[in-house]
Amino acid sequence: MNTFKLKLIYPKWQKLKGQTTFNLPPHGPVAFAATLPEWVDVTFTDENVEAIDFDEQCDGVALSMMLSTQVKRGWEIADEYHRRGKLVLAGGISTMLHAEEMVNHVDSVFLGESEGRMEQVMLDWTRGELKKLYNFMGNLPPIESVGPCRRDLYKRDLYNHKGVQMVDLFHASRGCRFSCYPCAVSYLGGRCFRPRPIDKVVEDMAGIENNRLFIVDNSLAQNKEWEKELFRAIAPLKKKWISHTIEDDPEVLDLAAKAGAWYVYQAVYDTSDYIKERVKRYHDYGIGVEGTILLGLDNQSVDDCKRLIDFLGEIDLDLAEFTVLTPFPHTKVYDDLLRQGRIFDFDWNHYNAGQVVFQPKKMTPEQLQDVYEYAWKNFYKDESQEQKMFRLFCNVALREMEEGTYRPRDRRLANRSFGKDVVRYIKKN
Amino acid sequence: MKVSPDYYDEIFSFRGEWDMPSTCGLKIRRCGGRTYVIVTELYQDNPGTSVTYAGKSLAGQICLAKGLDMEEITYVECNPDTNSKLSFYDEEYFQVDFSADLQHRYRQMDRTEIESMLKG
Repeated sequence: MNTFKLKLIYPKWQKLKGQTTFNLPPHGPVAFAATLPEWVDVTFTDENVEAIDFDEQCDGVALSMMLSTQVKRGWEIADEYHRRGKLVLAGGISTMLHAEEMVNHVDSVFLGESEGRMEQVMLDWTRGELKKLYNFMGNLPPIESVGPCRRDLYKRDLYNHKGVQMVDLFHASRGCRFSCYPCAVSYLGGRCFRPRPIDKVVEDMAGIENNRLFIVDNSLAQNKEWEKELFRAIAPLKKKWISHTIEDDPEVLDLAAKAGAWYVYQAVYDTSDYIKERVKRYHDYGIGVEGTILLGLDNQSVDDCKRLIDFLGEIDLDLAEFTVLTPFPHTKVYDDLLRQGRIFDFDWNHYNAGQVVFQPKKMTPEQLQDVYEYAWKNFYKDESQEQKMFRLFCNVALREMEEGTYRPRDRRLANRSFGKDVVRYIKKN
Repeated sequence: MKVSPDYYDEIFSFRGEWDMPSTCGLKIRRCGGRTYVIVTELYQDNPGTSVTYAGKSLAGQICLAKGLDMEEITYVECNPDTNSKLSFYDEEYFQVDFSADLQHRYRQMDRTEIESMLKG
């Protein structure tokens, strides 16, 4: 079989203004790349950290897209390659969410998970028989077939901020048994939790050079026994990791802490004592908390939002991330707001969870936008996001030093941030 | 988020977006010379596409299966009450006009209309 040279691209998107930008090495493209047959020679460009070389020789182009804010840029890239006579295949989460439009912009759309499917797709391509649609929605591959990602494709220096390597993303499971109001996961992967076999997780994780990870599973709190087994099994690896919610159970939290839990994302949806205690319990086990706060739900007025924002000051969060409710396609919130005629903006570039695209129930869109901006400013008024992140970073570095796993930052890259020179604003006397 | 069987007479299986196997609750009522086709979202018991997203395709599949004329029916989507504390899981009925643009396709029905329709 002749080698097929595939250029894999992760399109850029407009970052939210006023927020610290950290570019993490994306997971989807390298998970996809791992499913390609050996005779495909793949190169990877993450347009968020480097420009696309459209003149680089290749036999075809694949776009991997996760966010709604990537799809329009993906179409521009496809247009450019079409002008150069190249065929373009698209896949990933936002390809699935926007598939009806995607088919009009690329030569082939892949829907579903790619494990076990790419040999046939690539054979079709080399024979000039690439299909318009490869539809594996609702036909999930066995979770055992999920193997290690092609992390060798990352240009590591581009995911480095002042000498500090960004975390690697990692999946211990796929799918989710919950179907939360603003989330499309149940559409994408069925409403079922699919944990990877623990031995595979350990083998995969042990093979990652980076000792800091982000376990990006939708929620680890889905199967308590699997969760406990997972934490026991990965503890000897001495990795430090970030994750979404962990089960609110003393034994699980203890095991998570011993397994290297660094900090978790925890939804803060009301001002109850339960939330306060939940955050405290994480802290009791030495686990940091980044609160995720969704603004613009139908039961929230401006005053409700402000009360929630003020409440954050009482619960000692390490970090907070604010988003406005966004009706992504294939979510219940999309269906509801569409039926009620409340979506006024269908420009996918605005679906960044920081821009209001719908009519809220108890306030105007402008008021919601103001509340969102107030939330970021208010939470970070005394200490910036970067300063708070630095504190979390110091916590993990100290723990690593105690365990002998700390790696000093790369001095060679001390003046570089995501591939660019660091601009330092030093006042002249 | 189990939907009460009171919301439907039968479970209707349909081909959702990208042929995904999907299900909804279905009631057909005749009232005042009109045929109401009432589809209910089943949430956790619908493994595929939502009734709203399936829209006209679902209406067409029901008409084909039940020998109805798409032009003659009044199509209604039901967002069932699931006893959730969250307001967005309260009961709502919407009459759907597929000839309108996406933004103006849905009209929320009031309680009197709903009761009259369901009495049949």
